Amino acid sequence: MTAVAPATRRPAKPPRSRIVFVGIAAFIIITLVSVSEEWGIGLDIGGIIEDLGNGRVILEQLLDPNWAFLPRVVQPLLETFQIAVVAAFIGCGLALPISFFASRTTVPNRLTLTISRGILSVVRALPDFLYALIFVAAVGIGPLGGIMALIFFNIGVVAKLLSETVDAVDTGPIEAVDAGGSDRTQMVRWAVLPQVLPNYVAYSLYAFELNVRASTVLGFVGAGGIGFLLRVQYQFQAWSNVSVIVICLFVIVFVIELISIRLRRRLV
Amino acid sequence: MIRFEKASVTYGGGVHALKELDLEIPDGEMVVIVGLSGAGKSTLIRAINGLVPLTSGDVIVDGVSLRGASTKQLRELRSHIGMIFQTFNLVKRTSVLNNVLMGRLHDTSTWRSLLGWYKPADVEVAMQALERVDIVEKAYVRASNLSGGQQQRVGIARALAQEPTILLADEPVASLDPPTSHVVMRDLQRINRELGITTIVNLHFLDLAKVYGDRIVGLRAGELVYDGTGAAADEHVFRDIYGRSLTADDLMGAPEPQPASIEA
Repeated sequence: MTAVAPATRRPAKPPRSRIVFVGIAAFIIITLVSVSEEWGIGLDIGGIIEDLGNGRVILEQLLDPNWAFLPRVVQPLLETFQIAVVAAFIGCGLALPISFFASRTTVPNRLTLTISRGILSVVRALPDFLYALIFVAAVGIGPLGGIMALIFFNIGVVAKLLSETVDAVDTGPIEAVDAGGSDRTQMVRWAVLPQVLPNYVAYSLYAFELNVRASTVLGFVGAGGIGFLLRVQYQFQAWSNVSVIVICLFVIVFVIELISIRLRRRLV
Repeated sequence: MIRFEKASVTYGGGVHALKELDLEIPDGEMVVIVGLSGAGKSTLIRAINGLVPLTSGDVIVDGVSLRGASTKQLRELRSHIGMIFQTFNLVKRTSVLNNVLMGRLHDTSTWRSLLGWYKPADVEVAMQALERVDIVEKAYVRASNLSGGQQQRVGIARALAQEPTILLADEPVASLDPPTSHVVMRDLQRINRELGITTIVNLHFLDLAKVYGDRIVGLRAGELVYDGTGAAADEHVFRDIYGRSLTADDLMGAPEPQPASIEA
């Protein structure tokens, strides 16, 4: 008599994927190579501890903000805020129509889609800092260069997020509007836009948040706002003044983020 | 009049959804299409307004051939063919009225529709459509706040707002409970009888098909296997359409509506 294997429909346990272990191992090796003196940046732990002592003077001044400097911070801070608002308004406004050209839901033509997505990838590939360098060189030092840099930055961020949201909309209403004999523009306006409008407003608020932070950095290269003042005080090593600027920035970014998060939570 | 002439539809992957179908539907008729899932019911309905392109043969709607029709011709044709869907296909984040006004887009210029400036006459048509399905009091309510049955009536109103000559309904009651199903089917029947709109409805439940189908067309694997009156369609006919014995799942099982409530 031969033993009959029990008939079972249970599948065998699939082998565990090794990709996670390989990934972690690769990450550790790359890190070790990067800090090694021979191949990488030559990270010297002892040196770091020694240098920390030099930072003591700076730290002491930073902890003692010079509040008399505050009145001089207000005007540039306002300029930063204005740069962020104007850039978000224009950039997000342009991003709305652009994102409909970059979604397969609204553009069935493969070639058009590839081209518009390609352009968006290029726009996004350049960091905001580089845009600022280019536009400051083109239009001169001042807020205009910052605004133009942030417009491109916002188009990149919002069009990317929004076109992916458009990819995922409910296609039922699109079929319904198509079946009623509407054209493409009408379809986008009435079957797609109402579905993504809350997301769009949320992304725009997020872009504005990013702008306030980014315009600080952009000021370093002459694109207007608080960043320029920060750079000057930094070069004078006037750490007590830097401290005031940093505190003001922290407060305004924190408050804007708080309001923005509240608004976004209500929307979506 | 709608005429199928050896119409075939083959999907990518070699699925023959319709096989050389010949069918004629005169103006003003109420036709119910029955068949199992995958028998080609949805394809048949979508071939009439060109949402599904034909592989061979032709469909002629009011004298217009769908084969080789340009985008412009197709839009023109679709503008007087209303469509109702199993999942209602409303934009849930906007108002009922805005949803119904989408039925007026074919007669609204692009710039007007971009701004949402519908002509007062179009708003009037939309309101009348809502009155016809008895849900006008919800005009300014968000579509997501409506029950399934109410949403389907808004779907019907959207189709009616097109002022169509043909109404296509793809499984309009498949997502609804039995009593609501009867309400929706009665709405469709009333629209067909009062307005004389040619109405073509896909149904799964045989008892519903018998009650509301003046004419029943049976499909099996993309081929026409029955074409006759609802009264003549007995159990043998349905067995033939389904290719198996009938089960309780094939019947909705809810009592037929009282004659009095049909008038209501």
